[in-house]
Amino acid sequence: MIDSYKRLMNLQDPPPAKVAKGFFTDTSLCIGCKACEVACKQWNQLPADGFALTATSYDNTGALGATTWRHVQFIEQAKTNGDGRRDQRWLMMSDVCKHCANAACLEACPTGALVRTEYGTVYVQQDICNGCGFCVPACPFGVIDRTPKEGEFQAGTAHKCTLCYDRLKDDMTPACAKSCPTASIQFGDVAELRERARRRLGELQARGESTARLYGMPEGKEAEEVGPLHAFFLLLDEPQKYNLPEIPRLPRKTLGERYAWSAAVGAGFALVAALVFGSRR
Amino acid sequence: MTAEPATPGYYRYPVIRRPVWTWEVPAYFWLGGMAGGAFLTASLGQRLGSPDDRRYTADGFYLAGAAILPCAPLLIADLGRPERFHHMLRVFKPLSPMNLGAWTLTAFAPLAVGRAATQAAHTGLLRGPLAALARLLPTSVVELTGTLSGMVLAGYTGVLLAATNVPLWAKSKLLGGVFMASAMSSGSAAVALVAARRGAPDATLHRLARIESAASLGEVAMLTGYLGQSGRTAHPLTRGRFAMPFWVGAVGAGMLLPLLLHRFAGRHRGGTLRSLSGAAAVCSLAGSLALRWSIFEAGKVSSEDQAASFELSSD
Repeated sequence: MIDSYKRLMNLQDPPPAKVAKGFFTDTSLCIGCKACEVACKQWNQLPADGFALTATSYDNTGALGATTWRHVQFIEQAKTNGDGRRDQRWLMMSDVCKHCANAACLEACPTGALVRTEYGTVYVQQDICNGCGFCVPACPFGVIDRTPKEGEFQAGTAHKCTLCYDRLKDDMTPACAKSCPTASIQFGDVAELRERARRRLGELQARGESTARLYGMPEGKEAEEVGPLHAFFLLLDEPQKYNLPEIPRLPRKTLGERYAWSAAVGAGFALVAALVFGSRR
Repeated sequence: MTAEPATPGYYRYPVIRRPVWTWEVPAYFWLGGMAGGAFLTASLGQRLGSPDDRRYTADGFYLAGAAILPCAPLLIADLGRPERFHHMLRVFKPLSPMNLGAWTLTAFAPLAVGRAATQAAHTGLLRGPLAALARLLPTSVVELTGTLSGMVLAGYTGVLLAATNVPLWAKSKLLGGVFMASAMSSGSAAVALVAARRGAPDATLHRLARIESAASLGEVAMLTGYLGQSGRTAHPLTRGRFAMPFWVGAVGAGMLLPLLLHRFAGRHRGGTLRSLSGAAAVCSLAGSLALRWSIFEAGKVSSEDQAASFELSSD
């Protein structure tokens, strides 16, 4: 009975869970070559975003978006030294979808188009998404976006990094990590990457990089609401310098309280109206 | 020499993406809320009101039925892929306010239209086999389920906006309450407007005015709390482009003016009362639309405010 229903509805069991895969992006190794941006565009056949100069830095990409799934930031910092000289430095960081353990986009999705894959990543099923747009403002990192309705590339649906789901299926490394010439983007089993990240942080701190830190580890306060990130980072400064929120919010956490206020107002009004109608002489 | 960037973050780039929704969404919030409020007012009038109340509030069922009809088309038009609208109902996932809203609209729309048809059959507006069919509907069950689903429809919309990371929508916990109060105010105002136009007796109009005023007071209270909790985050709404529609339209015309008009109308009867009631109701309806639209549009501005996003995520 159930089997014939599944056949009729073309329902398949989800693939068995695999070891969680993710990215460890070590920004201390990034040289800002943007090979990851290009490799991502090529493999995923994403269109160019136009040729615009931001006039702020060497970053002319600006932000992640529906057709930009890797984005290299160029953070220019000038600091005054002890001897009064000004030192400059560039912080470079290849940003990407964080594949949160508790993903706001996935929870917002009303159609079930956004799913958790067998690799523990967050994935948009393009044949299901109807472009409602709710995931777009739900994401606390500004990652996922909807393509324009009148576009040539997959018009009107939500898009973001898939962690190269198609490549994972064939045991291949995602395109950005494969192309990274300095191993700033490292791909692998999340548990193993976390160990590697802790070791690397220890190395850097021993060398005197006192402001280096990890972002997206289970013990970090950024994991309070959205959980550990499957794509996490080694940063050389505060998260906000990289436009990363201190504690990324998960809308679900406050949903009950918000509904309660709405219901209280509705019930209060109904009560008053009932009393007014009922108190007629 | 380049100085340290003046912003706390990465140049002035926003932290979150700008919402992609367009005007259809606030229009739906307004109509859906009004339908829910009108259905509730009409149902309570039927069950608890005087014979006059029953007669004149019953038009609320027509209002609810008429207001709910454009709702689904508006929402479908806003989708990136409108032909896939039914994917909303391929799962039941009330954790997502959008999914909850789709199911609620699916439940409420036939109830509102059905109750309007029953009303039309009873008054002789609807004749023939359709009227016979409409008379078969159990009105008390339809009114109870319609009232409940209508109130969910009126109340989830503010929570939906608040269940995002847009600072203006998410900072305060009270946006759902603001929208619910606005829905009840516009729904009862719509009922009062039709009752005044159809020459309802003074007692009925006075009672409707008291109900409307209660909703307006609720709106003022919720909005005060909302603005207080939002603090500087509310600036895209309270200053700049949306200050006029918000302060003059939503607050002035939508809340304060109806309260004043009703207070003034309390001492009048007959034609003057009907004119004042009608004017107050029109103001309330227009203000409700202005409220939804200004908060919706100002949210897009707020989404680009890097500092507000950081403030929201450090609470």
